[in-house]
Amino acid sequence: MSERAKHKISQFYRTHRRMPSYAELAKLLGYKSKNAAVKIARKLEDARILTRDSVGKLIPGKLFGDARVLGVVEAGFPSPAEEELVDTMSLDDYLIEHKEATYLLKVKGDSMIEAGIREGDMVLVERGRTARNNDIVIAEVDGGWTMKYFRKRGSEVWLEPANHTMKPIRPKEGLTIAAVVRAVIRKY
Amino acid sequence: MFFGGWQHASEKAILHIDGDSFFANCEIAVNPALKGRPVVTGRERGIASAMSYEAKKAGVTRGMVIGEVLKRCPTAVVLPSDYETYSLFSRRMYAIVRRYTSEVEEYSIDECFADITGLRRPLKMTYVEIAKRIQWELSRELGITFSVGLAPNKVLAKVASRRLKPEPGGFTVIHQRDIRAHLATLPVEKIWGIGSQASALLGKHGVYTAGAFAAKDQHWVQQHLAKPYQEIWRELNGEFIYALNQEEAHTYQSISKTKTFSPASTSPDVVYAQLAKNIANACIKARRHSLLARRVAFFLKTQEFTYHGYDLTLTHSAATPEAILALLRPAFHQVFQARTRYRATGVVLMDLTPSDIQQPDLFGGMVQVERMQRIYAGVDKMAEKYGKHAVLPGSALPAMQMKNSGRDPAHLARREGMRFRGETARQRIGVPLLGEVR
Repeated sequence: MSERAKHKISQFYRTHRRMPSYAELAKLLGYKSKNAAVKIARKLEDARILTRDSVGKLIPGKLFGDARVLGVVEAGFPSPAEEELVDTMSLDDYLIEHKEATYLLKVKGDSMIEAGIREGDMVLVERGRTARNNDIVIAEVDGGWTMKYFRKRGSEVWLEPANHTMKPIRPKEGLTIAAVVRAVIRKY
Repeated sequence: MFFGGWQHASEKAILHIDGDSFFANCEIAVNPALKGRPVVTGRERGIASAMSYEAKKAGVTRGMVIGEVLKRCPTAVVLPSDYETYSLFSRRMYAIVRRYTSEVEEYSIDECFADITGLRRPLKMTYVEIAKRIQWELSRELGITFSVGLAPNKVLAKVASRRLKPEPGGFTVIHQRDIRAHLATLPVEKIWGIGSQASALLGKHGVYTAGAFAAKDQHWVQQHLAKPYQEIWRELNGEFIYALNQEEAHTYQSISKTKTFSPASTSPDVVYAQLAKNIANACIKARRHSLLARRVAFFLKTQEFTYHGYDLTLTHSAATPEAILALLRPAFHQVFQARTRYRATGVVLMDLTPSDIQQPDLFGGMVQVERMQRIYAGVDKMAEKYGKHAVLPGSALPAMQMKNSGRDPAHLARREGMRFRGETARQRIGVPLLGEVR
């Protein structure tokens, strides 16, 4: 009898993550009255399969076998959801890889409109990163920042806007690339 | 194996890392239009708080009144201080140094000490290589230069980092064996910790250079000098005495409140009331962040756009108008000139420390400060219920009936004028803004 009850209760616990009430216990075991459920609970309690917490509610005792008892009572069930939390990252972590080298810029104009970057957008850039072909970069031109595609063919480098009405910038003397674009953020 | 001067594994290797013209260079790092130009910060206070290498060459010095700055260097770009950005850069500086060692002393907003002793083997680099690597990462990621000194202790590391100044980006090593050569011609008052009194005393004994001081024998030093100077003497002789202080007690932000008022006034009571109101508001902000101020700067701006100001140090850190006004009143009357029309006042609270780590002092002056602090806890509760200026210092009252035209836009730091959707005057994203990009 108590084996069946134990099995039913642990099943209930696994699905609901709590102990059944006396009414639920009665239903679970096919009894008509709560009284019968109380009696079987007492029996299980005597056998230390169930125990009570400080306010007298039933909690699992040796319900799941000896080895797990302590863990279950003291720490609750390890829920799969809790384990997953460890593997999530904040938006900050996702957007910012190198914290100390990351800076913000505010987009003005529409020179990168065909790359989907609009006026008012927030751009996250990384300073000191080596620009690779086709990266979107921040360059220093005439005392201001400019954001363009970085193109490189052989020894030739130039900056290309993502706007067919504008011309590429071919630097006569060296090109100062200040940073490489890592993310674009737009809040509506 | 050759260790580059550090023969014994137990010998200390201490770095001093110092941001060159830090505030000015932070401004240049976020605004390329300023590159190569003489840049001066401190516009909101009317006093130069930092200047770029170019401005230094033109003769601008720290604490110079802005009018004088423009006389000496008419092409100077004078900017309001943007402490929000400076402290972001400062925190990044510490973080980059901590990639290499956890033993870092955050000495000030733009300087730190780092102990790299014993890192040669794990990093497979010499001390010089480690120091140069840190210096390189700092300038690559922050876009500003740092002067670095490497030596067997803090006093000598500080001598080393200053060695090539004002030239930016200097790197100097002081080995045990060539300490004497580095100190030979250095004026003794340039040593960290030796003030004007100590150098005057040393001068009386014919000691004018750090080298001459270091060469004195121990007996002489013990007879003539107090303990702190004996310690400096030992460090100058290559001993390691001063441990790194690794507590993070400071916040390097400041709180400033500036208001222009109309009509402009020649009345000392009216101008004082305006200043008192700014102080009350700055204190409200300090208490909201649970901070106490140790230094207070204030200024008065005339109709002719000239500034007159004063810098005060409180005996006890405080965040109540009473504590500040008591000290400020005499200074105000020194600065205020009759028959002059004033149009704005401003105040800056500096040297802020968290209010929960306040050190009690020996002489009980704290009791008074603490009592006011308790009263103001009640004042803040009333403000929550009845509005911001429910309780105000009486001297600020005349200012309540006057019209304020808000903060002077000329005092607005660049970051404050450039907000993203969702940012507010109080809260902005904690990443430095480089400005607009086309």
